[in-house]
Amino acid sequence: MSEATGLRHWLQSYPALSLSEVDGYCLRLVCTPEQLPGLARELVEHWQAEFATLLVEEHPDRALSFTVRYYFYAPRQHHLLELRIAVAPGTELPAISDAVHAADWHEREAWDLYGLRFTGHPFLGDFVLHDEDWPEGVDPMLHRFSARQRPAGEGSGEHWQPPQLLEEEGAIVFPVGPIWGDYNESGLWLLETPGEQIRYLHTRLFYKYRAVEKIAEGQAVDQAFLLSERFAGAAALAHSWAYCQAVERIAGCTAPRRAEQLRILFAELERARHHCANIAEICGSTALSVAKAMAQNLVEDWLRLSAQVAGHRYLFGLLCPGGLRQDLHAEQRNLWIAALARLRRDLLALREHLETSSSFLDRIEEMGTLTADFAKTFGVVGPIARASGRALDLRRHLPYGAYSEWEPEIPTEEQGDGYARLRIFFAETLISIGLMEEMLTQIADGPIRTECPIRAGHALAWVEAPSGATFHWLRLAEDGSVLRLRLGTPGFRNWHAFERAIQGAAFQDFPIILATWGLSVAENDR
Amino acid sequence: MSFWPWYGLRGGQQTESWEASVPAGASPGRPVAAARQDADQFSMICPTQALRAQAGRVEVEMDHCVHCQRCRQGADPLPWQEDAAWSHWRDTHAQPFPARFRRSLHVLYVDAGACGACVNEIRLVDAPVYNLHRFGIFITATPRDADVLLVSGPITDAMHRAVVKAYAAMPEPKRVLGMGVCAINGGVFGKSFASHGGLEGVIPVDLWIPGCPPPPLAIIEGLRRLMGWTNGPAEREVR
Amino acid sequence: MLYVAAYLLAFLAPLLVLLPGRRATALLAWLSMEAAAVLLALQGVLAMGNGKLPLIQLQLPVIGAFTFAQTPLAGLLILITAVVFAMALPFVAHDANAYPRGRQALFCAVVLLTLLGMTGFFLANSVAAFLFCWEIAALSIWAIITFETRQSKPVAAGLLTLALSEIGSLAGLAGLLLLAAGAHNDRFGPIIAAIPTLSPSLLLAAGLLAFFGFGMKAGVIPLNVWLPEAHGTAPRSTSPILSGATLNLGLYAFLRIDAPIALHMPHLGLIILSTGALTALIGILYALVERDMKRLLAQSSVENMGIATAGIGAGLTFTAYGYPLLGGASLVAGLYHMINHSSFKTLLFLGAGGIDAATGTHNLDALGGLMKRLPVLSSLFVVGALAIAALPPFNGFVSEWLLLESLLRVVEIPEVPVRITFALSGALLALTSGLALTCFIMLPGMALLGLPRSAAARTARPAPLAVTLPMALLALLCLLLGVGATAVIPVLGRIAEGILGSNPTASLVPDFFSTSSSIPTAVRHALAPLGTEIGASWLPLRGLAVMHLNSSAPVVYAMSTLLTMLVLLSLLGIVWLLVRGLRQRRVTRATLWDAGLLRLRPEMTYTASTFAAPVRVVFRSFLRPSVQSTEDRQGAFLLNLRHSEVINNISERLIIGPIRSAATAIAALLARMHHGKINTYAAYILAAMVLALLFLIAANS
Repeated sequence: MSEATGLRHWLQSYPALSLSEVDGYCLRLVCTPEQLPGLARELVEHWQAEFATLLVEEHPDRALSFTVRYYFYAPRQHHLLELRIAVAPGTELPAISDAVHAADWHEREAWDLYGLRFTGHPFLGDFVLHDEDWPEGVDPMLHRFSARQRPAGEGSGEHWQPPQLLEEEGAIVFPVGPIWGDYNESGLWLLETPGEQIRYLHTRLFYKYRAVEKIAEGQAVDQAFLLSERFAGAAALAHSWAYCQAVERIAGCTAPRRAEQLRILFAELERARHHCANIAEICGSTALSVAKAMAQNLVEDWLRLSAQVAGHRYLFGLLCPGGLRQDLHAEQRNLWIAALARLRRDLLALREHLETSSSFLDRIEEMGTLTADFAKTFGVVGPIARASGRALDLRRHLPYGAYSEWEPEIPTEEQGDGYARLRIFFAETLISIGLMEEMLTQIADGPIRTECPIRAGHALAWVEAPSGATFHWLRLAEDGSVLRLRLGTPGFRNWHAFERAIQGAAFQDFPIILATWGLSVAENDR
Repeated sequence: MSFWPWYGLRGGQQTESWEASVPAGASPGRPVAAARQDADQFSMICPTQALRAQAGRVEVEMDHCVHCQRCRQGADPLPWQEDAAWSHWRDTHAQPFPARFRRSLHVLYVDAGACGACVNEIRLVDAPVYNLHRFGIFITATPRDADVLLVSGPITDAMHRAVVKAYAAMPEPKRVLGMGVCAINGGVFGKSFASHGGLEGVIPVDLWIPGCPPPPLAIIEGLRRLMGWTNGPAEREVR
Repeated sequence: MLYVAAYLLAFLAPLLVLLPGRRATALLAWLSMEAAAVLLALQGVLAMGNGKLPLIQLQLPVIGAFTFAQTPLAGLLILITAVVFAMALPFVAHDANAYPRGRQALFCAVVLLTLLGMTGFFLANSVAAFLFCWEIAALSIWAIITFETRQSKPVAAGLLTLALSEIGSLAGLAGLLLLAAGAHNDRFGPIIAAIPTLSPSLLLAAGLLAFFGFGMKAGVIPLNVWLPEAHGTAPRSTSPILSGATLNLGLYAFLRIDAPIALHMPHLGLIILSTGALTALIGILYALVERDMKRLLAQSSVENMGIATAGIGAGLTFTAYGYPLLGGASLVAGLYHMINHSSFKTLLFLGAGGIDAATGTHNLDALGGLMKRLPVLSSLFVVGALAIAALPPFNGFVSEWLLLESLLRVVEIPEVPVRITFALSGALLALTSGLALTCFIMLPGMALLGLPRSAAARTARPAPLAVTLPMALLALLCLLLGVGATAVIPVLGRIAEGILGSNPTASLVPDFFSTSSSIPTAVRHALAPLGTEIGASWLPLRGLAVMHLNSSAPVVYAMSTLLTMLVLLSLLGIVWLLVRGLRQRRVTRATLWDAGLLRLRPEMTYTASTFAAPVRVVFRSFLRPSVQSTEDRQGAFLLNLRHSEVINNISERLIIGPIRSAATAIAALLARMHHGKINTYAAYILAAMVLALLFLIAANS
């Protein structure tokens, strides 16, 4: 704990900074815009803190001024840090993203949705709201903006020009999307290329922007739960778990022991299915159809198992604040245990076949490499980070629920290439299977739900979703309606770094690299 | 050295018979209308107004059901049925394809804001157990080859134009299939400045497949209905 | 004589330009130039029909014999040259109108001087006449290239041409003088007659010097780097002349000198063949990475000259090994390709010039979408591209097919090294053909199709008639040379006979139509259902099929472009009828599918660079681009990425670069000797005298 006290001492001795600790998990600091860049840089570079998320809230009493919270966490010290800044009307915040690059997209998002400008950020605009469709000066997250209807006004339309960084004779901006491939999520990828080689990639997302954070405002806790669950269906349980944690933290209640254990079980079930789906996509992208079919069988088996033990293939409608909505019966448990043995066998067989297919490995080895340096600069999370040598996992570093008791093993790989990511997907699936097997025999008896009163307040909650660290922030009103829901998703973090893994790759490797990243557009776009 | 053809053959035929009953876990199931004394009060449990009290019965509107399971959790649940034949025509004018499309159909899938679950289910329609190709149905990447436009998601503002353009780029005869509750009415996202709240009013729709998400069996059933297998000539085994 | 009339008209034309009155005199001058070219073409046709005919016989003091004579080969080259000039002169006159009066006259004079110098060169029959006309042609070409001297680049290119041309001339002259010295004569007739008596090493040295020296003019490696530079910077109206006509000078020069040598020395033929094949591959590789239309076409000229050279080399080798019929076939293929190149390259360069006139640019990356704006010019341009890509029924197919087929006949030569050389050359030429196809899909594709990639391409003006009309005639010529192969080959066969001593016509175009033909009756009957006897009674041809016969197998290879075209046309007709007859619904036109983007922008579509990128990647170790890459950052942000890859010609890299640096080093060394001390200079003189004396003693002993 000496490192933790060291960080605290350093913060306490930092000039003109007020420090308070709440709930024993979060150090809260109030700082000024001038202090921000230096403090953020120092936290990340010296104290090895990770940027978690950026939260902008409109100040309730004065029009057009914001409270901005920067969340960091220090993995080694198991600490969460909040830097809070009040922004006066008409002023800007200094951008921290040239030092803490993980905040880049967060700052662009805040500019597009709140009109909060960050001094020194070179690429503000044309991000969430696409310039060709949206006029300047529309800030949808402001309270005075009505979510019901699209405001009148046109964007630049046909005058819109694709972004270009590359200066090379004869180079083009090759568009992939928005509708592309057989069954891909929509988004636009602009490959800057002189032919064959991709020199730079512009990832242009938010074609699926459903404004979940905006439409959640004013909804009842129960209603907004559906949004938190279904904005990214491939990781529904993880995101709804984070939402439930936030509600519980505001209410000051904790779920019963059995519920916490079952939550872990379902979360690991979801992780295993999510990773197997990624493996299937990787096999499919290299046109290895038998392997793809084998992986698809695994995915389908996980989905059928989910439907049999939870009633829904994607584990929808399972959680609620205070615990679970439904229990796991003994016969379901036995079914689960039996399925795990079969699934592990099939998974190991597939892994062995793949690892001895040199033609397959040729296509993913040294492909789409994200170096450890870039992984740190961009603050990637989840399996992508772990494949690039960064052993980051909130289940270990900021344990939640029953994970402090059931510590999972964290696999890492050093290469950061497509094959490293594939190995991580396999390793984590096997670890999840092991964890499920262990827990299924030791589930505590007892209730699965406690009453969770709805109170006014706000809280941050986090979960290690299948694709990485997730930070959801919730503020509830007295009447139990949502005032602000912030969905800090792993997809939003990892898509940001994707462009760096593509640089220098050949054209035809783009879909393969995309598959090895296994990123969800829905999770990013929200 | 891996010998993939052998691994494939060793697994044997894994495709499940289309005629057989729905395998366990292949569908989340759906609530079935039932007579209840507490119909008025019970139907309030549904967060998406898929349950409606009518003359002492709880009626189910499948187009609104997102499988939140609340009506089957608790002490006195509504009966649920584990089937997957959920598709229905949008209106009486909608027609299946002419007979020459019975054995071959090409589908363009467009994600217009889907959460990822629909995409995942679509990716499984060609899994060995479902094997969409046995019906002559193939997923294509271009509207020029497509007979069916399969759309999921609430039609986000940014994808609106793309959906309209994809429809316009398809040759006649063509059909539109709205997949998932989001495509029908926006689902949990509804209608807002950023989402159109479903396909209605964007392009003419022929068939809906409700569900959140509709499982692969439901998607295949909808496509077969468009081909004219379910509404018209007697069901035939196609292997 | 037509020569005199043509020369008089040619000298008249520049003077006519100077007459008062703008439009009328320009028209008159053009008519006079055109008439000169037409007269020369007629004379060429006449010359091809006759045997050798002495024209001028002068014996000058100091210079020696200054004689000219007409031969069928000279007639062919005069015909090609005159036709190319006739086709290009309208554009020359059109563009010359933009110059002030005096320069206009000068421009016409320079262009015509090239024509006259070349004609003289083809007729030259003694060493002095040969070199005199060569220099006239070289200097006038240099004047053409540097005519637009306002920019500095043309001057540099012109100087490079001149310098290399002089190096080539000197080497060729040295070869010629070696022969003349050996034969103790300076007329061609006696020199050639004396060749069998000369020593092999002298013959080899003379042959190589002549081949590489004069071959330089045709773009033969290693000294071909000047060609794209010069053709890329010459006035656009003269490019068709430079590429279509003047390159043949080199071919003719080394053919004249090397053919009699190679008949006694098979190795020389093999060197010519393999050098030609390598030249072809290198030419097309550099053509593929060019973005500038004119430079691309110039590089492709290198390729085509390489193919023609390979044909000549194979012909000489076969004949030297005692297979005159196979040799004749190869030589015919080479000469055929020379004719073809002159026709389609003139067509393509006129097209490129027309596009330049219409848009103001010849950068492929800035063009696109011209098919809609310049439909006539674009269609004719596509014909040229199909012809040069060797697709039937156009002419490029005939000569390349014939050449590859002839090379395969090397199986009849027992010597293994010869077989290997032929096989490798054939492989290089086959690769060249494939790359040429890629290149000439790229050229019209990137220039004419897709979206316009610049304002210039979007607002193209109509191309002048002075371009499109000659292009139409040339396109027709490309088709006729393609489908009329059986009419062209006998003419070339007779010219080959003048060079090799035997006429291959009978073994290439057997007299199918005549009942007394050498083809067995059974074979003729077997082939008749294929339509081989169509027109036997009324066509003035020997047959419709090119087929090679030999003693063991009746037919070794056979092909008929005319019949192929008829089949293709009838198939297309049937398809058209079916579509017309069976179509049930009306045609619906939908907009381009752009994956749901707002609009596909020009910067999102392929350019020549992106199209040729796979070639650049595959041949990277050969092309060896010098890469420069820089980026601007702000913290972790990448603001800007600059990348450039410059591809230097291999001859620049391996030959000229080292020579240049060696020359600079020697010059620096020599400069150190000039330090102004009188006694050191005296020491130099003394040392030189001692060296000279030692040399004399050694020579006498």
